[in-house]
Amino acid sequence: MQMHPFETLADPTRRRIVEALRDGERQVNDIVRAAGIHQSGVSRHLRILHEAGFVSVRPEGPRRLYALRPEPFRELDGWLAGYRRLWEARLDRFGAALADRLENRASTLKDPDP
Amino acid sequence: MSSDTHPPVVIERRYRAPLAEVWALWTTREGFESWWGPEGFRVEVHTIEPRPGGRLDYDMIADTPEMQAAMREMGWSTSHATHGRFAEIRPMTWLVLVHQIDFIPGVETYESRIDVALSAEGDTTRMVVTLHPHRDPLWTARSAEGFASQLGKLDRRYAAAPLSAG
Repeated sequence: MQMHPFETLADPTRRRIVEALRDGERQVNDIVRAAGIHQSGVSRHLRILHEAGFVSVRPEGPRRLYALRPEPFRELDGWLAGYRRLWEARLDRFGAALADRLENRASTLKDPDP
Repeated sequence: MSSDTHPPVVIERRYRAPLAEVWALWTTREGFESWWGPEGFRVEVHTIEPRPGGRLDYDMIADTPEMQAAMREMGWSTSHATHGRFAEIRPMTWLVLVHQIDFIPGVETYESRIDVALSAEGDTTRMVVTLHPHRDPLWTARSAEGFASQLGKLDRRYAAAPLSAG
């Protein structure tokens, strides 16, 4: 089953792996060291990240090098843009409520003729 | 203060209104009730204590038949007692509103944070809202899906661009 990108990153260990790969490709031992996690879990999480499209892997001699792929991060960016629009809409409500408030205030305070 | 994967979202607005009125919308019962919550909800404030560490307790109530149906469909109650606090507050200038997110089945309670900075500029008030998205990104995504169904109304009301969520 295809995991949602957010679901993939909801796991803190996988987030640490992604952080560890931010500066470029690394082999497993380096990821273990940089992420401060136990070797046993790393392979499983790398597989999940690979299947979710977050990580590419290529062989180099006896080693396998892992690197981040941009596509899921673009999707996350797109989601954040949506989150921003939701809040823009909430602040539109704020603006409308503020306008109502000022209008009520003005009509309450309206002086009778001097 | 943001999560590992999400940068904060910063939104700036400028209103032609006195600073005190803008402040009141965040810190008084009637002010808060007049706008808070996503479309399709209203809130009833029980406690609002705009002082450092002061409480903010309110019910978030699904307010339209459509939203009530949507909430029931997701297996949620149509009213939820919501708890937050003013983690930091400097009158007319700055506040940090921290909400307890305690209504997600199977997810431990955690906090989400909103920073609000206000300043008077001429006859306008500048407001900068910094949102630290929910720590559990999956929940945030679900929450957005929950909201998205209501956005048609917002479009009509404010002529905003339709949201292409998800």
